[in-house]
Amino acid sequence: MSLEQYKGDMEMCCRCSTCKFIPMQKIQGSDFSYVCPSIAKYNFHAYSAGGRMNIGAAALKNGMNYTPKLLDVVYNCQMCGACGVSCNYAMDMEVLEPISEFRMKCIEDGKTNPALDKVIAGLKKTGSMVPVKGKRGAWATGLKLKDATKVKVDVLYHVGCLTSYDPEMQKLAKSIARILQKAGVNFGILGDAEMCCGGRAYQMGYKDAFLAQAKKTMAQIKKAGVKTLVTGCADGYQTFKVLYDRFNLKGDLEVLHITEYIDRLIKEGKLKPKKKVEMNVTYHDPCRLGRLGEPWIHWEGKKIPGDRFVFDPPKEYRRGTKGIYQPPRDVIKSITGVKLTEMTRIMEYSWCCGAGGGVNESNPDFAVWTAQKRIDEAVSTGAEALVSACPWCEKTLNKAIKASGSSLKVYDVVELVERAI
Amino acid sequence: MPLTKEQYKAFEDVVGAENITDDKAIMPAYYNTDFAAIILPKDTAEVQACIKLCNKFKRQFRPICTGWSGMFPKDLILLDLRRLNKIIEINEKNMYAVVEPYVISAELQAELMKRGFNFCIKGAGTNCSAMLRGHGHLDQTTSGDDRNHLAIEWVTPEGEIVKSGALGSADEWFCGDGPGPSIRSILTSAVPPGVTPGVFTKAAVKLYHWPGPAAYPIQGHSPKYTLKEIPANMMARYYSFPSVEKMWNAEIKLGENEICYELMGFNAAMVACNITTCNEEEEEVFAKMSKEVQGPGFFVIIAGNSREDFEFKKKVLEQIVKDNDGISLKTVEDPEIEGILLCQCTRISASIRETFRAGGAFNSIPIMGQRDLTIKWAIGAGKAKEPLIEKGLIVDDGGAFFGWGVEQGHLGKTEIFCKFDPQNPVAKKAVETWQKEQTERAFKESYFASTMGPQDEIGPALCNYHLWWQKIVKAIDPNGVSPEGGALV
Ligand SMILES: Cc1cc2nc3c(=O)[nH]c(=O)nc-3n(C[C@H](O)[C@H](O)[C@H](O)COP(=O)(O)OP(=O)(O)OC[C@H]3O[C@@H](n4cnc5c(N)ncnc54)[C@H](O)[C@@H]3O)c2cc1C
Ligand code: SF4
Ligand code: SF4
Repeated sequence: MSLEQYKGDMEMCCRCSTCKFIPMQKIQGSDFSYVCPSIAKYNFHAYSAGGRMNIGAAALKNGMNYTPKLLDVVYNCQMCGACGVSCNYAMDMEVLEPISEFRMKCIEDGKTNPALDKVIAGLKKTGSMVPVKGKRGAWATGLKLKDATKVKVDVLYHVGCLTSYDPEMQKLAKSIARILQKAGVNFGILGDAEMCCGGRAYQMGYKDAFLAQAKKTMAQIKKAGVKTLVTGCADGYQTFKVLYDRFNLKGDLEVLHITEYIDRLIKEGKLKPKKKVEMNVTYHDPCRLGRLGEPWIHWEGKKIPGDRFVFDPPKEYRRGTKGIYQPPRDVIKSITGVKLTEMTRIMEYSWCCGAGGGVNESNPDFAVWTAQKRIDEAVSTGAEALVSACPWCEKTLNKAIKASGSSLKVYDVVELVERAI
Repeated sequence: MPLTKEQYKAFEDVVGAENITDDKAIMPAYYNTDFAAIILPKDTAEVQACIKLCNKFKRQFRPICTGWSGMFPKDLILLDLRRLNKIIEINEKNMYAVVEPYVISAELQAELMKRGFNFCIKGAGTNCSAMLRGHGHLDQTTSGDDRNHLAIEWVTPEGEIVKSGALGSADEWFCGDGPGPSIRSILTSAVPPGVTPGVFTKAAVKLYHWPGPAAYPIQGHSPKYTLKEIPANMMARYYSFPSVEKMWNAEIKLGENEICYELMGFNAAMVACNITTCNEEEEEVFAKMSKEVQGPGFFVIIAGNSREDFEFKKKVLEQIVKDNDGISLKTVEDPEIEGILLCQCTRISASIRETFRAGGAFNSIPIMGQRDLTIKWAIGAGKAKEPLIEKGLIVDDGGAFFGWGVEQGHLGKTEIFCKFDPQNPVAKKAVETWQKEQTERAFKESYFASTMGPQDEIGPALCNYHLWWQKIVKAIDPNGVSPEGGALV
């Protein structure tokens, strides 16, 4: 794809500003009505999706006009896709795709961000999105997990870079391993051999680096001969399930997020969260498990000449309708003693944690600012803990808590499940 | 002409470096205009300081709220009021709310519904500013336009802060006309230019009783939100009639009986847009509904304050519809569709489906006045649309128009538009010609359309108001820094 292919979509933008807010019917007052972190923080219209559409359309007409401000706009976007959901309530047009293509064009033209360049250089060198300290599979020491590179397993648990290497996040890998063991699942890990899925490189706009990494990773998974891949990382989930499918790499691999898998295990009676966990919680939908986790729709077609923006064959848009919303909630609700109170911005119109689109690396202050807004929203529900389902979310939300001194706790769903079994 | 370094620095000193830009690369985000600068003031004081600098440097400015509409000549300083986004007060006793420009209607409305109130929301949608005047779905109950403005805080084109009505004398927002200066005719004009020179920084809007729920019980995912249940004592229906005369008679009778919370003279095409989630589905549903309706019609919402009140209103409604041979559209009787329409048409959240979704653009002629007369004009404008439909230049909506009465009365707004693909120059030209010709016809036949202009052509027909207006503008804007730019309709 290229920016040119989204010319019609960008020209459809009517500058209505809906993409700055959660869907109008869902607005509950003056608090928590904004959905786009970028415009919420930086205020110039250019930072909103509508602004980005119109800049993109102008660039196709008049050429790219690179200025520091333009690049500031380009890189201060979490690629969270919330804009697209709000827009697509009423409009038939792609929103996140042209935003993403615009960034890819910048990268193609060498207008990169140094912090992101560094991450990509690291990925190419080490096969990891985060700095490598020690061995990738070290977290599993003593857990007696099967090595999927050596033995055949039913389920491959793909741990992901952050969970593997970050000492604060390794607890999630351990929790998942214990849960799967408890449920008697025949699963394994790739251990030190595991590689990055590449998804965060794609979000950052480095499509070639993503594809190169994805091909290597998928070859390794194929070699392991597994039918099902489970991941605890929302970024990893979206990458394997959606991006690998989009680029015809996935084949018939079944990709499940750990919350979907646990939900299935509970419903099949293989896992029983028996212990009471007394806690008032609220749930944060990770963007890439929720709205961006819905399946890819393969489509190719041409606009039908005439009065309407319609295509032959008809185009079905990914509007966030089919994201993974219920399984994590069902898992949380299955734990006795846990009381779930919802925030205002949930499911397809959830507010991003701030870490996406490379913002975590290129502008950590903006990432934490975004997370802080989420913390404020969580606190407003009266919850004592904010539960999520992605290590990137947990890490960023915790950074905001640390910065603000809030007493809110952040957990991953798997941490609650582990306590309950 | 770009700002000089000194000028830029002076504005920057007011708002801070992060709230001003003259970077050309991001200007297309707003409009395809080379603005001299875009500035984001945070409060009235900063707006005032910016306007004073505009006078000092003789630079023209225009403000925007969401920036959905307006005309913006080159070299203008754009005051983006996004940071003025607070609800200042909701006064339940005196039934008004005070808002800043970037409070959108959806935010204010949600706060009001919790308290049993509602307010006049522009048909454009709750994504627009809650502060600027307009007409819309709720006009039967909430009146329309500038009748809803109470006191206003206004920064004049010279940078003076003027407080209108009660605010000017008693520091109270409850009245726009006094005690204190009533400058209503300057502040909110309906005739072109339609917008005020200078900047409104706060306005009080009237509140009205809301008999509906504190929040709708919405379920499902976008783009299909439905209601778990129809809220108590509420009902939505679409009725079609064998003739325009019967429809009008029913509309006027319903008004006399004051039973409708909303009466929106939607055509079948607009109902189809509202209840469908994509273009293809809309075409299909419209084709089906065109066969279901017997002629022109309207959409009605009944909202009772009690079971008895609801039953009474329902009975009266049914009787009036029957007396005028109206039939209820079965599609809308389906509780799922009824729920979608109830929510969308009171939370005004689907106008984009009606207008932009099809081809990306629409050109409209809104005309104000006595509904039965304006409808006659609109039938003519609809006929003039037919050749464009036949040639495939505009979306087929059956040549329909729409409209509604204000305050349960015979006055109101009638509107007709053509939806088209703006990238198709032939379609664009044809629609512009249609709009020009039909506006001219409205003018000749003594109707008032907000697309009329220029002022020196229409002024003589309207007591030469334009000469007076020019004198006023000269007095309040001696440096000519606040140009006209795109009316609200
Ligand atoms: C699809 C669609 C449907 C519409 N339907 C209706 C309808 O049914 N009824 C109706 O009434 N209108 C309708 N309109 C017009 C609509 O009301 C305006 O487009 C809307 O007001 C724009 O959004 P906004 O309120 O945020 O104002 P903006 O677009 O920000 O501004 C509108 C104008 O007001 C000026 N302005 C902005 N802020 C200020 C301020 N603080 N002080 C002084 N001047 C200011 C601007 O310079 C501009 O000229 C429709 C428009 C669209 C696009
Ligand atoms: S991107 Fe969509 S929601 Fe945003 S301004 Fe454009 S049309 Fe409106
Ligand atoms: S992807 Fe997210 S951050 Fe980027 S413009 Fe859309 S809503 Fe804003």
